[in-house]
Amino acid sequence: MDYFFFIDFLQSLTDGLLFGTTYALIGIGFTLIFGVMRKLNLAYGAAALAGTYIGLAAFLSFDAPPTLVFLLSALGSGVIGILVYYCCFRFTPADYPMASLLASVGMLLFIEEVVIHASHGMPFPYPSVFRDATIELGDIWIRGDLLFVFGICVVAMAVLFWLLYRTPLGLATRAVSQQPRAAALCGIDPTRVNLLTFGITGILGGIAGAMTAAAVGVLSPIIAMGLTVKGLIAVVIGGLGSIPGAIIGGLLVGAAENIFLLLRGVTERDIYVMLLLFLFLVLRPGGLFGSTAGRD
Amino acid sequence: MDFYFGLLQIFGVHTLLGLSAYVVLLTGQVTMAQAGFYAIGAYSAGAATAMFGLHILPAVILAGLVTAGIACIVGFPALRVKGLMLVVATLAFGEMVRLFFFNLTWQVERGGEMVGPNGAEGFRAIRYFPENGWEVWHVTVFIWIVVAVIMAALWWMDHSRAGAVLRAVGHDETAAQSVGLNLTAVKVGAMTLGGFIAGVGGGIYAHTVTHIEHGVFGVLLATFAIAYPILGGLGSVFGTVIAVLFIQGFLIEGLRFVGDWRSLLFGALIVVAMNLRPHGLLGEHAPNLRRIFGREKTEREALNTKEAK
Amino acid sequence: MKLKAFIKAGLLSASTLAMATAAAAQDKAVRIVGSGASSGVVGIFGQNSSAAMAAAFDKINEEGGVKLADGSKAMIETEYYDDRCNAEEGISVLRRIASTDALVAIGPTCSNVAEPLFGILQAQVDDAGDTGLQFPVFTDVAIKGGLAGISEWVFRNTPSEAKMYDDLFAWIRAEHPDLKTIYGGVEEDFAHSRFTWYEVMKKAAEKHGFEVVGEAQWLLSDTNFSNQARAMRRAEPDVVAISAHPFTTCGMLREMSRQKIKPKVLVGLTSSSSLETLSGCPDEAQGLTIPTSFAPVNDNSKAAAEAVVAKGGQMDLHSASAWENAMILKEVIEAAEIEGTPASVEEDRRKIRDGLAALTEADGLLGVNVRQPDGEAVKPFVFVHAQGKGWEVLHDPKS
Repeated sequence: MDYFFFIDFLQSLTDGLLFGTTYALIGIGFTLIFGVMRKLNLAYGAAALAGTYIGLAAFLSFDAPPTLVFLLSALGSGVIGILVYYCCFRFTPADYPMASLLASVGMLLFIEEVVIHASHGMPFPYPSVFRDATIELGDIWIRGDLLFVFGICVVAMAVLFWLLYRTPLGLATRAVSQQPRAAALCGIDPTRVNLLTFGITGILGGIAGAMTAAAVGVLSPIIAMGLTVKGLIAVVIGGLGSIPGAIIGGLLVGAAENIFLLLRGVTERDIYVMLLLFLFLVLRPGGLFGSTAGRD
Repeated sequence: MDFYFGLLQIFGVHTLLGLSAYVVLLTGQVTMAQAGFYAIGAYSAGAATAMFGLHILPAVILAGLVTAGIACIVGFPALRVKGLMLVVATLAFGEMVRLFFFNLTWQVERGGEMVGPNGAEGFRAIRYFPENGWEVWHVTVFIWIVVAVIMAALWWMDHSRAGAVLRAVGHDETAAQSVGLNLTAVKVGAMTLGGFIAGVGGGIYAHTVTHIEHGVFGVLLATFAIAYPILGGLGSVFGTVIAVLFIQGFLIEGLRFVGDWRSLLFGALIVVAMNLRPHGLLGEHAPNLRRIFGREKTEREALNTKEAK
Repeated sequence: MKLKAFIKAGLLSASTLAMATAAAAQDKAVRIVGSGASSGVVGIFGQNSSAAMAAAFDKINEEGGVKLADGSKAMIETEYYDDRCNAEEGISVLRRIASTDALVAIGPTCSNVAEPLFGILQAQVDDAGDTGLQFPVFTDVAIKGGLAGISEWVFRNTPSEAKMYDDLFAWIRAEHPDLKTIYGGVEEDFAHSRFTWYEVMKKAAEKHGFEVVGEAQWLLSDTNFSNQARAMRRAEPDVVAISAHPFTTCGMLREMSRQKIKPKVLVGLTSSSSLETLSGCPDEAQGLTIPTSFAPVNDNSKAAAEAVVAKGGQMDLHSASAWENAMILKEVIEAAEIEGTPASVEEDRRKIRDGLAALTEADGLLGVNVRQPDGEAVKPFVFVHAQGKGWEVLHDPKS
């Protein structure tokens, strides 16, 4: 094991972990919605993408500063998240998850097509901060913009925790997710909680989309599918319904992806990520942080 | 005229894809592995005819059996989990299959040319039909005979004990288990049958398009596989056929006159359809425990809205 | 803006339709239709080539249309079918076109649609044992090498990348005799990019004495290129060739500039010489050198580009082919002396096919396109490089 390999390994690990935060955010979104509604929202990645494009529109039309672009991306995605709730979840039967699943697939295709229609499928530059800043620790370079992405994602997670554990709204959300019927009996309006969850997860998705676009520097509609799949994998590895699980899962997927890229090349990289997931499912079906009761 | 026969071919092939997911969905499992099974069928049937000169019928049956075998093996670990975990597990399997074919290069020489899967460039010249003098309508008739046989078999199964067993597991696993059903056997059985149908469908698909590549068998195709039966309704096999007609016939071909807006309407109309007919276009007509308790349910629904199934 | 363009396109097509029907009252009409992806991620290609085709046919119609066998003139009617870059839909569209009185199709956009599409056509003409579709297809956009060999009914007017990159590397060798090494970057899961690097660029570079010191691979939707760029940095290549589409090309260029990799020459994929790359990463793309079969360098091509813009499209190397195809088809139809009556549709298609097969040369926007016996074309090209917000001609191999 020579020196270069060691450096490469460390560098891949660092990049992967930093990048993994975006997967973690998407994972949290899936897990929150699933926790509250016991349903899968496949339109989530697309909503995140569309929100990111809203930020981009501001950037292109009046050259908005990056902070505003990120903010608009997040808020836009939150609004679209609420829209998704009304279109796919509000009026479909609560006890038949397949209806909302398919409705969210329709929504995914619709949102993607709207984005493509508006942008002609062209890639556009997306603003970023600290793009040229690099921290050099010996032979290991840490990208400034990735650190920023990491920081923003951590802040987003911290705010989320505060919302969930320190506010009455969060209490209601957790109540619905643990015991929906008891929560309803206590006078918590499930529709309101659901709306709120879709809004919050939408914002998280928007941040993830914006940060991915900022890290690449270019925005194209094709990033939505990758985010969706990686986010889902992060959820399963971490354990359904567990927010810390989704975070660890996201970081793990990011790191594993980069290390397999280094070891096995790009064409086989994703096979090994999927195998890792399969392994988790077989050996630990509940995920890292899920209880075995979370198998549903 | 050939255009309409061609369309019928697409309907037939997609019906097979949808039916393969239908069987698994009956047991209440949402599977995203069908695109992977479809790919295995497509590549093995393509290899059988284009590389080894087999007749189409044994090739397609072979493809079905190979796929069924793999589906059975995958079924055991995958079906340990359910719900969202299963969606992701099967999604991962489907992607693994796709990436396998992405990396697969295996060519043999036939008639002076190299034939076979060539990695990212795909598998070219699966031209069994035109090379052997099959007219378009011959192919269409062949496909629909296969579809009819499979549909009849599934229809018969639906009305036999096997169908009741599948639906019992789909409706309430605990209840099904307590009356002595072996959950693993039922689920893996459904997965294997679904794999067989997907393999046959994929095998025929490869021959109707003559060229296959990994990109076709992605997440989108897997989504369509489950979309057909859900959109059509799980009551009977005809739900899947109706949904294929709706998506392939109406949304894709029928809306061509609206030009640019066709792709936008595509997703939007699926959303509308699921809101208006959440249990599918044909609904759940077949014997179903849920319908028997249906009346009681509506009264409880107000309280129950957010209860997990 | 989109809505406006849509309404405008609608009005335009309505008016041309009205004109066409008015013309049809006195004259005959010949139908030539296009197919390709005009929606979805690659929809822009189809939209551009449909605009170019329509503009070209308008020009032909304004000049009186095409001459038929009996000496009368016929107007050209056209239409564009969207296949959403999906193989099944592409086949279905072609079957639909063949069931009408259309004489020839221009398309498709995607190489992954082109392969199956050509596969359902009859492989060899007059092969009674082959029941494949008998319909001439004249491809404008789908560019992956060697596809026309699949069927004798297929002709392509896409640039020959083998020749372009051979000339490009020869020119680089002559201009920079001190450059030794080359590093390749390839979008591994896209058939065209992959083919172009391994079969075209790499071979051409080695032929002209460059040593390939490494290859970086990534996938179509990748967002992180740091590993690939790091390996590239260590190899310290003089030349970097990137065979990828605009999205990942931009991602990789960004990462390269971040890691301060500054090759002396940067070579890109033909398809990237469009507006997309410059819209995605204008700063990093500066100096990117690409051979392309279209650039507005002479009066002819400038006029054509303006006509296409007026139709709401953009002229690039892909849509230029659509324009040229329309013009070439006019010549072929007149030379083949078709009847243009409903009864003669089959014969006319065959005549057009034979006419295309017999061509050895055809006029293109940049000069004479050489037609190859296998249905491919060798088109004149220029080397362009990204300067500011546009592509500028760097070198014209003919001069």
